[in-house]
Amino acid sequence: MIEFPAFIHVPLAEWTDAAMDWILRVFSGVFDVIGDAILFMLLYIEKFLLWLPWTLVIVLVGIVAWRATHRWWAGLLMAGFLVLIGSFGYWDLAMMTLAIVIAAVIISLLIGIPTGIAMARSNLVETIIRPILDAMQTMPSFVYLIPALMLFGLGKVPAVFATIIYAVPPVIRLTNVGIRQVSPDVIEASRSFGATPRQTLMEVQLPLAIPSIMVGINQTTMMALSMVVIASMIGARGLGLEVLLAINRIDIGRGFEAGISIVLLAIIIDRITAGLAPKQEHSASSS
Amino acid sequence: MAINNIYLQNEEISIEVNNLWKIFGDNVEKVLDSDTQFDGKTDILEKTGCVLAIKDVSFQVHRGEIFVLMGLSGSGKSTLVRCILRLIEPTAGKILINGENVCDCTAQQLTELRRHTISMVFQYFGLLPHRNILQNVAYGLKIRGMAKSKREAKAQEMIELVGLKGWESYLPSALSGGMQQRVGIARALSTDPEMLIMDEPFSGLDPLIRRQMQDELLDIQEKVHKTILFVTHDLHEALKLGNRIAIMKDGEIIQIGDPEEVITAPSDGYVREFVQDASPAKVLTAKRIMEQPNVLLYEWQGPKTAIHILESTELDNAFVLGRGSKFRGLVTVERLLEIIKGGGKSIMNALEPDLLRCTSDTIVEDLFPLAVSTRHPIPVVDDDGKFLGEIHTSTILGSMIQDKETELGD
Ligand SMILES: Nc1ncnc2c1ncn2[C@@H]1O[C@H](COP(=O)(O)OP(=O)(O)OP(=O)(O)O)[C@@H](O)[C@H]1O
Ligand SMILES: [Mg+2]
Repeated sequence: MIEFPAFIHVPLAEWTDAAMDWILRVFSGVFDVIGDAILFMLLYIEKFLLWLPWTLVIVLVGIVAWRATHRWWAGLLMAGFLVLIGSFGYWDLAMMTLAIVIAAVIISLLIGIPTGIAMARSNLVETIIRPILDAMQTMPSFVYLIPALMLFGLGKVPAVFATIIYAVPPVIRLTNVGIRQVSPDVIEASRSFGATPRQTLMEVQLPLAIPSIMVGINQTTMMALSMVVIASMIGARGLGLEVLLAINRIDIGRGFEAGISIVLLAIIIDRITAGLAPKQEHSASSS
Repeated sequence: MAINNIYLQNEEISIEVNNLWKIFGDNVEKVLDSDTQFDGKTDILEKTGCVLAIKDVSFQVHRGEIFVLMGLSGSGKSTLVRCILRLIEPTAGKILINGENVCDCTAQQLTELRRHTISMVFQYFGLLPHRNILQNVAYGLKIRGMAKSKREAKAQEMIELVGLKGWESYLPSALSGGMQQRVGIARALSTDPEMLIMDEPFSGLDPLIRRQMQDELLDIQEKVHKTILFVTHDLHEALKLGNRIAIMKDGEIIQIGDPEEVITAPSDGYVREFVQDASPAKVLTAKRIMEQPNVLLYEWQGPKTAIHILESTELDNAFVLGRGSKFRGLVTVERLLEIIKGGGKSIMNALEPDLLRCTSDTIVEDLFPLAVSTRHPIPVVDDDGKFLGEIHTSTILGSMIQDKETELGD
């Protein structure tokens, strides 16, 4: 009774493989379409970002950061960060990384906001989705690489796919919370004037949930950025791959430059998305 | 302060509630048709886990009246009015709005009802914090799909009606409580509904503002003539605003009547307590509230002179005095005309028989029975029969409404 008996064997691995095979066989057409759509979107974003003159990007980022944070020096600082990234020779790689992040975030929002709304409107949906989100957030991020790899093979598409799965929970959660925390008084008033549930959602609940949703978008974006680095393991080109290569070659200097570039990019994205969230000037809502 | 009782008695029924029940909880059947007898609300809660909020309530609201629903906190007033718009689903019973049963309405019809027929004003205002005052007032119209310029013009009109001109572009959080509630009232009126339901609209305001808002509501009502179902837990407010008052206790209506009935004939101890607690009438005397009439007649004046005096001052009755202000009685235009037709020469022939009178130290509470039984002012006369002043029935009720503050003030 010292070793665990070999005959007690749950063949979960075999089952998983079988299920995966089945999914691939039956839904391969679906995944092809999804993959093509993601790739199409990604390529256009990437092309666009690389087509933009670097000077323009730097000026734009500076202005947007200044507007968003209401501090002129923040704009200057963010623009400076971009210059630094360029000076490491990572401009193109940074743009590629950014393209993956943007594509993943856009798709995350397209999935996440409606899901969050559905959760807010039905307790049943919330009870079903909440544990799934909990599980997704406790899972180590590279676990998502496996299904992505199996469904889409190597390349950019599985990278975006894995990034989406990893990054989508915050925006779902915060959309749900934002809508649920709207004061019932206001909702009742809206209903009393004959607003349909849809009108109440569009006129009252969503607008009042925006600060919360913006926090969700910010978190989703940051998580997407951190995932992109890991997703480079399955073939996403960009700064992440640079770090990965540096680790493999034990090239500390290069790894440091790439790592710093990612951090700077993260700071820029974080400051801008956080600044864009409307200030809660009417938080003391209805009494 | 005069009570606003000038609504045309209209027998047309706007809202009719028949045998309405509302039970919160899962074991509703158990409460409704069980053989077990329950001993009050707490008993039901203990045995079934259900809250009996409305118990077999019936009443009618007539077109154009202010019907006040009064009761202590937790008596089920809010639940009741929410049931009328089906913001809460009633458990059993009928609610007829202009004869149509709301409980049978489709979602579509319900939406129409809320958009066009009834609007609601809430205790906690329920304003949209992210929209400015103009947009808030226009909200009901926007929901209906009215074009922007049109709805904003209408909203502007309502904002002016409630005296908030100049505040259109502010957010609700910039306004005081009283102003926010004005926005709530303007919003409710903007859809031009036939009926208004107001759930303790002034309870959150301090007494001074509250009184002012009550006056304004009466002013507005004079202009718009809505059917109003008004909820309050304040007797003064009920007496001031209500054409009729229903008193609720533990989910039941225990008395319905006009203000005089409620004051003079409280149907049970609960109402009496309510009335006594709230009533300065126990201490006020006739002397405190009497007034000097604008016109007095004298016994030596002829009927034609009397008619002339009354008509030129647009009165239809006046007291008649003798020498030394001795009180003689009261004449009405109607009686005077009869006398003139019959060739009578003295106004003493036209005196009303059996006129009630009181002395200067009569307590106001004791004036209630007199006030109810006469249409005329009540003369105040001293022990020697000298006329001191008059009291209008409206003043008697009005005196109850004066706040303690004004009492202390003078
Ligand atoms: N959603 C609910 N679930 C369970 N019980 C409820 C619910 N809403 C109200 N009640 C109960 O119904 C009863 C009546 O409440 P309601 O709010 O109608 O009283 P009210 O007369 O409006 O009181 P107030 O003057 O405090 O507004 C109370 O006992 C309350 O606890
Ligand atoms: Mg209430």
